[in-house]
Amino acid sequence: MRLAVLFKFAKVLMISRLRSTRRSIVSKSITSRPILIALIGIVLFVAGLFFGYETTVFLSFGGAPLTGPVAHQLVVTIFGGIPLFLIGFYFTMGLLWEVNASTEAESTDAINWLPITPGEYVAASALSTSYTYSPLLMVAFGYSLPIGILTGNLAGFLVLIPIALLSTSIGSVSVEILRSALASASTAFNRLGGRITVIMRIVGIILILLVTQLLFSGVFLIQIITSLVGTAAAASFVPVFWPTLTITKLLQSDFLSGAGFLALSVALFLLLSYTALSFRAKYWAVTPAAIHFAGAGSVSGPSRLGYIGLSSSSIAMLKREIRSATRRKEVIRLMAIPIIMPIMISFPAIFSPAPSSTSGPAQIDPIFLVIPFLFGIGLGALFLGMTSIGQEGRRLWNISALPVSASMLVKSKLLFTSLVSSIGLALGAVVSALLLHASIFVVLGFLGLGLIVILAEASLGIAIGSRFPDFSDGPRPRFVTIVGSIIGALLGIVEMAIMSLPLVLSFVLRTFLAIQLPLQFVLALSGAVGGLLTWTAYVLSVKPIDSILAELPN
Amino acid sequence: MATSGPAIDVSHLTKVYGPTVALNDVTLSVGTGEVRGLLGPNGSGKSSLMKTIMGLTKPSYGSIQVLGYDVRASPMEIKKIVGYVPESPRLYEFLTATEYLDFIADVRGLPYEQKKERIARFVDALDLEGKQGDMISSYSQGMKQKVAIIGALLHRPRVLLMDEPLNGLDPKSARLVKELIHGLAKEGVSVVFSTHILEIAEAICDKLTILQAGKILAEGTSKDLRENAGLPGSGLEDVFLKLTGTKGVEDIVEALIR
Repeated sequence: MRLAVLFKFAKVLMISRLRSTRRSIVSKSITSRPILIALIGIVLFVAGLFFGYETTVFLSFGGAPLTGPVAHQLVVTIFGGIPLFLIGFYFTMGLLWEVNASTEAESTDAINWLPITPGEYVAASALSTSYTYSPLLMVAFGYSLPIGILTGNLAGFLVLIPIALLSTSIGSVSVEILRSALASASTAFNRLGGRITVIMRIVGIILILLVTQLLFSGVFLIQIITSLVGTAAAASFVPVFWPTLTITKLLQSDFLSGAGFLALSVALFLLLSYTALSFRAKYWAVTPAAIHFAGAGSVSGPSRLGYIGLSSSSIAMLKREIRSATRRKEVIRLMAIPIIMPIMISFPAIFSPAPSSTSGPAQIDPIFLVIPFLFGIGLGALFLGMTSIGQEGRRLWNISALPVSASMLVKSKLLFTSLVSSIGLALGAVVSALLLHASIFVVLGFLGLGLIVILAEASLGIAIGSRFPDFSDGPRPRFVTIVGSIIGALLGIVEMAIMSLPLVLSFVLRTFLAIQLPLQFVLALSGAVGGLLTWTAYVLSVKPIDSILAELPN
Repeated sequence: MATSGPAIDVSHLTKVYGPTVALNDVTLSVGTGEVRGLLGPNGSGKSSLMKTIMGLTKPSYGSIQVLGYDVRASPMEIKKIVGYVPESPRLYEFLTATEYLDFIADVRGLPYEQKKERIARFVDALDLEGKQGDMISSYSQGMKQKVAIIGALLHRPRVLLMDEPLNGLDPKSARLVKELIHGLAKEGVSVVFSTHILEIAEAICDKLTILQAGKILAEGTSKDLRENAGLPGSGLEDVFLKLTGTKGVEDIVEALIR
């Protein structure tokens, strides 16, 4: 392995990834001077010191001794949690990168035709991932140092350093395996061809996102293991826990077990590295998609959607949106958002014991319990809407050169975003009916309110996306600027708060003043507010889109 | 609002991108059924001129009329009657060729029978038969160019703007496109055509316009340009190099291979 090539290549990979993801002043500075990442790490280390010190102050609150058993248990929890968190963070960041990367950019990647060995590639790529996210490692070190010193666990901190480094390496190398596996799977899917590829890709990406969200949720894992084996000790058999167990066993003065888990952790890293290298050697380059659709050689006839008043242009635009969303890898993950978001947000509610409408004295309507679900659906629709304009990318000229008005484009985006988000809503309706034992009336109310939430949030998203579009076609397209994302997220939450005001008001009136407003009236009021917000956002979207169509981004 | 005047009338057009002046006081007139060739070094403003005529970018100063329609006031009318092929077109790679052309035809409001017949005819003529069900992402540069050309011609445009349309085309397809341009011009279609291949420009264009640094350097028939350059018996390449001030090519080459 040529070390000079390795470091140079790692630097190039890091710079290209950062430049393709962010275009702010900060990222420009970082990519022109990568040493800034180390400086940011130092700053965060200092910040971590402060928070670590504050934690010890909190631990000693009420005069509890910092060397007592309670403090010791907390130290074990904090120090033990760091390796698991680091593996999860590095893996998730790498996974998100892969899911977002466009196949077009991957297949033309220069590394595919440069004289670089698989070993050099794997090492450089893992190194670049580790260095890019190293500020997180630094904040973890800064946070744990004062805790280690002040609780008399300095030795524990010193052990934590190599274990944390090993954890980041495990996370980074795991991503390399995933990269090659996805490349291989992608090629295999492409060979299958046709619509089955499209469906498998959608389902696959949604499942990967869901499973990885859960995989690194420690609580979830422990729950599964405990339910399977009956004891949390079963965690010893899960490799992702080994670095964590190393540190916890050593802190508990169980040196033999600690050494055992350390050996297992190192072995895990070596095994993952070997697997990554083998996979990379076998599945070197991504094969570009060459999907053939059997029925796609003939032109489409008149659509049934015409009977509901849609023009041929509108139907064509909608069909294009659906095909884009189901065939572009970087868009599929956006389509998954309105489905995943409500599941993740309402996850605790779903897995809590099922509430009953007669269980408590307050007699809370189940419709109030589905509010977190609606919140998730709304956020999903918002993000999908925000990215809908930037998705056009460098292909925008296709629309600009056609007689397509801004209002037609907004309507097609709104229709498509709402359709996709409705999948999440349908899931919500099923959950409400099955898990919350909601009545038909409540389910219908949920669906009606959900549709209004979707329309309002999607149109707000489009309004934001049209003002802050990001048309750049990098390996990891963003579709909306960072400023736009932040403003959109804030406005989206405010909008949902405004829409839920009638519900909150009715709850307050019922709880504190015993005034019962009819639920139909409350829902209708919320719907009216949502309708007004939808119309306002629609009107606000048309003008900026008109400007975009009249002036292609240079 | 059709007009008996020039098909394209560009008057004192200036286009500024930040500190860069892409077009500087360009005035140009293209007649009905005329094939106008745009020549110029890379970055001379050819693509910017076409984009501005098409209404894809706003003029900073000056005015453009296409068949009597003002680009700023009636962009939709212009998009209905103009066909446009950009330089290195980025198509919807996630669609098949048929799906892409179907989309274009539907947005342009072509009736089903006409759409079916025209797509089939162009696909067959440009040798895309049998591949039209594949996703565009698997196409070569030349095949993508063919799809873009078909997309620009489906609705029988009255004005065609083609930015280096022969890029990547095989000889048969290039010949076909050249003949097509001739044929369309005879039918009264006005064509603005940019290229770096000077022989092609000379062979199919009625008039040539040479742009450099956003300004019109020379305009007229190839004979006019030769006289303008003071090289009456020379090839168009020598005329182009002289007018654009490109000197000492031989010296540069010698230095490069040394």
